[in-house]
Amino acid sequence: MVSVIEYVPGETLLHRLNPVTKLAIAAAIIVATFCAQTYGMLVALLALTFALAAYSHTTSKLVTLLKLLVPIAIVMLLLQCAFVRGGRTVLLWMTTEGLDSAGKACLRLLGVALPLVLMLSVTKLNDLANACVEVLHVPYRYAFTFTTALRFVPVFGQQMNAIMEAQCARGVEYDTKNPIRKLRLMLPLCVPLLVSSVGKTDATALAAEQRGFYLRTRASSFKRYPMHGRDAAVLVACVALVVLGVLL
Amino acid sequence: MRMTDQNPIVRLDDVSFSYAQAGEKDAPRALDHVSLSVGAGEFVGVIGPSGAGKSTLAAALSGAIPHHYRGELYGAVYVDGKDTCDVTLTDISQVVGSVLQDIDAQMVASVVEDELLFGLENFGVPHDQIEARLSGALETVGIADLRDREIATLSGGQKQKVSIAAILAMRPRVLVLDEPTAALDPASSRLVFDTLCTVREQGITVIVIEQKVALLSRYCDRILVMDHGRIVLSGTPRQVFGHARELRELGVDSPRMARVHNSLVEKGLLPPGEPCLTVSEAESLVEGLVRPHLAGGAQAGPVADAQRDAAFRASSPHAAVPRPHAEGAEPVVRVEGVGFAYPGSGAAVEDLNMAVYPGEVVGVVGQNGAGKTTLTKLLNGLLKPAVGQVLVSGLDTRHVPTSRIAAHCATLFQNPDCQLCKNTVLDEVAFGLELQGVDADEARRRAHKVIERFGLPEGESPFSLSRGQRQMVALASVVVVEPDVVLLDEPTSGLDYRECMTVMRTVSEMADAGCAVIMVCHDMEVVSDFAERVVVMADGRILGRGPTAQEFADEPLMRRAYVEAPQVTRLSQALARDLSPEYAGISQVSGIVDLTGELVSRG
Repeated sequence: MVSVIEYVPGETLLHRLNPVTKLAIAAAIIVATFCAQTYGMLVALLALTFALAAYSHTTSKLVTLLKLLVPIAIVMLLLQCAFVRGGRTVLLWMTTEGLDSAGKACLRLLGVALPLVLMLSVTKLNDLANACVEVLHVPYRYAFTFTTALRFVPVFGQQMNAIMEAQCARGVEYDTKNPIRKLRLMLPLCVPLLVSSVGKTDATALAAEQRGFYLRTRASSFKRYPMHGRDAAVLVACVALVVLGVLL
Repeated sequence: MRMTDQNPIVRLDDVSFSYAQAGEKDAPRALDHVSLSVGAGEFVGVIGPSGAGKSTLAAALSGAIPHHYRGELYGAVYVDGKDTCDVTLTDISQVVGSVLQDIDAQMVASVVEDELLFGLENFGVPHDQIEARLSGALETVGIADLRDREIATLSGGQKQKVSIAAILAMRPRVLVLDEPTAALDPASSRLVFDTLCTVREQGITVIVIEQKVALLSRYCDRILVMDHGRIVLSGTPRQVFGHARELRELGVDSPRMARVHNSLVEKGLLPPGEPCLTVSEAESLVEGLVRPHLAGGAQAGPVADAQRDAAFRASSPHAAVPRPHAEGAEPVVRVEGVGFAYPGSGAAVEDLNMAVYPGEVVGVVGQNGAGKTTLTKLLNGLLKPAVGQVLVSGLDTRHVPTSRIAAHCATLFQNPDCQLCKNTVLDEVAFGLELQGVDADEARRRAHKVIERFGLPEGESPFSLSRGQRQMVALASVVVVEPDVVLLDEPTSGLDYRECMTVMRTVSEMADAGCAVIMVCHDMEVVSDFAERVVVMADGRILGRGPTAQEFADEPLMRRAYVEAPQVTRLSQALARDLSPEYAGISQVSGIVDLTGELVSRG
């Protein structure tokens, strides 16, 4: 989890696009994924995501995420099959209609999560926040909250890891093979994690204020984020993609 | 020093502060009638036991009090002539830049460059000046090459420098730092202070809260000693560390060389006066005392190496006597040819071998990233060796789950907050026993006994206690399980001198009772005082192991491991070389002082 949301430096066109345009690409793929009704289109959208990742050298990030998502997708598939029944029985409780809708649901799950991670791995968080403020007129405090939350994910991940190790070293059975028992043992750890995260958030607020957070305006950013011709072209392609999603 | 009072950049006028909400009577005061003025360009160090009000003082200086922390404030704080109550926090922070204790929380960006830009952009620095400011700040701190790095991939020392650069870029006139070196090894700590020195040369006032007295005495113009919310001593390092008795009563450490001087004064060998602070000063001091008494100058001049080594082997009667551990006992920890590499990164340890016997205290030293923490994790089973084997109390860590090894090998982590998870201190201490299957009543009875010995509040929530007390709770829950092996990872970081001594004394008692103690520690003075053997590590390998005094005296080894031997060891080495071989191997202040007294009276 720690290394999934991490910027991968690069000079490709995808890296050089305006952050807002990249956001639009991710949004377009996601909307198209929701609208698409056929396997062909769903698989094509996933292929598009992977093609973009291959182009921007971030495939390894997607594969890491895929390792987390595929088990979830399989659980979803099995459950969905149990709820949606109809048509011929294929295997045990699974029916043709069930498999059909469950398969699409799984592809959609992957199709929604992957473009977002792709977009975050080719954009620096600060650029994303600043561009949203400049181009989309998002108030800076919301942009800051969003990027800080994303930045804290790995920090809290490390914290949680340190806590688990400390508890394990004093004899709590986190190394048990039973996942339900492990989950029950993990619940009490929310307390120390919460205590430290509240303290951290407060300290961050103070640090930001001491560096002039409240003086910041839309014009503050040192870097500028103009929309170029290539951004316009990509945006047109995004609209086309959504239309295609609705049609197919 | 008086001169600075005429032109203070920061002035506290009879300031008192308590964190209590308005209306609460008799709340304890974190600051109690503090008056202080700091002149432009001064380098001031603040020291004192935990709970003395040091961080509160920093908060008052940086405007976080009264603008961020709620409480009752009396008196007035003037920054650049303006009362901090009358101006906003944003205005104050254009004069006073503050570096917080928790650097992770201070960061607002994920890339170094953006971290520095944040303040510059917000304060409306004209965009054509930003580049110069940015690169200037990075160069001052010496991290120009880190500009495009992700902050998450930096080491602790590098992060600390980024946080200082981010504040410097805003060109504050005062820099306030709260324990900037708490998590750093001695070499990185010195680099941070060197940086502060450069900053001060540019005319910026530096106020730093710090526990490392040797650093403070070397860099500061003035030292303030705080206790119970008051400033009890103030003066140059020499003036302050001359007050040996007062400092001891407050529970504040003094540099070892100052202690040598003060002890010589107490013995009547020296007239009272300002103490020496560096090893070379102390050497010429002792030489001046002893040289006239050496018989006919027979031993004057450099002593031959062979003679010195002979004296070392014979072990000077003034060298510390190692704790006698059971002869012929089986080692309780065996590490045999162990190697381990973290997946996906280059960090690795190789070819580790060591054996630890019951009743021993073994120190593990080396700079950040040498593999010390990896070694401890291999010992308590959190990491399984890729090659070789680790045996703890006869259990092979590769085959026994970590949670079962815990019954034999207890770990005290650097950050006690990772260990605490219960609602009361009693539950917390009893928890470790219950996990091992001791029944609840028995566990509570034993926990109760240990808590009483430590003088901790049994019914309180561990999270409401001070940092030092939380560490004591964590230590109590280690002591209560009576393990065969105790692992300590930086047991003294974040603690004041008195707490540090309590922790170390408890650990020594456990060793006396037959428990093997392995401690990773950056504080070489603590290692030299309490460990009879050390393991020296660098770059994932063990470079040397042996009796503490002998390893510290091995200069080439210390250089290779980037470790600086404790001051007393360096002094005894210098004296053994230039004055008398009898000084060889002495690692304690008292040893130096006794021998000096003896040589003087012998002559």
